[in-house]
Amino acid sequence: MILACAVQLAVMSSVAMKATEVQRTIDAVWRIESAKLIAALARMTRDVGVAEELAQDALVTALEQWPRTGIPDNPGAWLMATARNRGIDRLRHQRMLVSKHETLSAELEMDQERSDSVEAGADDEIGDDLLRLIFTACHPLLPTEARTALTLRLLGGLTTAEIARAFLVPEPTIAQRIVRAKRALSEAAVPFEIPRGEELRRRVSSVLEVIYLVFNEGYSATAGSDWMRPALCEEALRIGRILAALAPGESEVHGLVALMEIQASRIRARTNSNGEPVLLREQKRTLWDRVLIHRGLMALARGESLGETRGPYLLQAAIAACHARAATAEDTDWVYITALYDELVRCTPTPVVELNRAVAVSMAYGPAAGLELADRLAAEGTLKFYHLLPSVRGDLLAKLGRYAEARGEFERAAQLTRNARESRLLLDRAAACVRS
Amino acid sequence: MSYMLLIVEPPGQRQERGREAGQADYDRMLVYTKSLKTRGVLVATNSLKSAGTRLAIRGGKRTVVDGPFTEAKELVGGFFLLNVQTRDEALVFAGECPAAEWATVEVREIGPCYE
Repeated sequence: MILACAVQLAVMSSVAMKATEVQRTIDAVWRIESAKLIAALARMTRDVGVAEELAQDALVTALEQWPRTGIPDNPGAWLMATARNRGIDRLRHQRMLVSKHETLSAELEMDQERSDSVEAGADDEIGDDLLRLIFTACHPLLPTEARTALTLRLLGGLTTAEIARAFLVPEPTIAQRIVRAKRALSEAAVPFEIPRGEELRRRVSSVLEVIYLVFNEGYSATAGSDWMRPALCEEALRIGRILAALAPGESEVHGLVALMEIQASRIRARTNSNGEPVLLREQKRTLWDRVLIHRGLMALARGESLGETRGPYLLQAAIAACHARAATAEDTDWVYITALYDELVRCTPTPVVELNRAVAVSMAYGPAAGLELADRLAAEGTLKFYHLLPSVRGDLLAKLGRYAEARGEFERAAQLTRNARESRLLLDRAAACVRS
Repeated sequence: MSYMLLIVEPPGQRQERGREAGQADYDRMLVYTKSLKTRGVLVATNSLKSAGTRLAIRGGKRTVVDGPFTEAKELVGGFFLLNVQTRDEALVFAGECPAAEWATVEVREIGPCYE
């Protein structure tokens, strides 16, 4: 009896084990396939909200069936066929205008025939669908926050809970943002298309803004004790690489990819074993990922070879590349970096860029020259609540031996940052000023 | 996270298969590679030529042996370095690899030798 129980338990646990394995595989398949799925369905239904629901329905069906039937040979095609059938069913059952109904359902069925017969060339079509989805999710009509949430949801396959956790925002807030965004797109009847000409440039920059925001959120979390959340960085890089593959003629896309690849190459070196941040000049460069640096430099070259005036992402990538090329911090070509910042200030004249330029100038021409620029920024007052301004001034003052003033700046910076670890680092520097 | 998919094939398979069939398989691998690229997960990839050279230093003595290595049971024929979130995703991509039909796809996480 006891033996029988034990045998039964063993059988049950192996079944349970298998179920979790299937579940994990479904999660993985979803992350890989969902964007493609939603993109194709959005083309057919002309509504990303409806497309996502159909895709979700297919996911639920997979969750019900795959544990029994096993994972199909081509899970993506299975999900697509299931979602499409759901779409056709739904259209048939909905009380829609007859004409619209017929067009849509005809299109869904036609698409099925097409995808059944045509295997070659399907790649380009999938690519176009994905591009349309990226441009729609990042439509300038939507506020940045909504674009970001929708992009992670539709292109990253992230759940509302995951997005909420990543941005330290309550889940209902994210859910609401996504619902509103979908409604706004639907109400404005935003066409599911790839913009052309001048419009394309504008829309690309709207997409790049979202991707870089996601990357930065992961790279240096603005709040909380996690210095970075690598998953967000990887997600942003993935979407960026997809965009670069699909829109190879856009120099700024390559610029952003280059920038992200090079920044991501430093991830292992950016924190010490206690998880505390390590500044660029103190990082062990042997920990930098050479493969990512190589990819970054290639993307930069590709972007620059398109021969246009360098935009803000290409310029930032060029700056990041200067650091990546330097074998030691002392080898950094600060004079060239200063020149790149001059160019960057001309195309994006923001106080944050000015502040970075001040740092570059201090490295190229001495702390006094840098401090002069930083002081000018402090006098303007636009960066009053930005912790890096007092942090930079503290650093330059300390280099000039003005420790008492430096200490005050570090303490102010520590108060302004929302990142607990960064705050500790700044307070350590303030304490070091007292000892000096 | 990064994973390496190693294509481990029986030595001699390429010769047995012959050029024409080999080219057809290779074309399928190119399609697969492109699909990894357009999905943003491919960091690096290459195929490796069959013949290689083995070098070892034992007790200060250096031995260099040119292939082919007839005694070898398997040969690394190529690799894909992927950037994905989980091992399961790496496994899904490995399952899509055409080479899984004639070789073995070994999925290895990138990481230090000792934790």
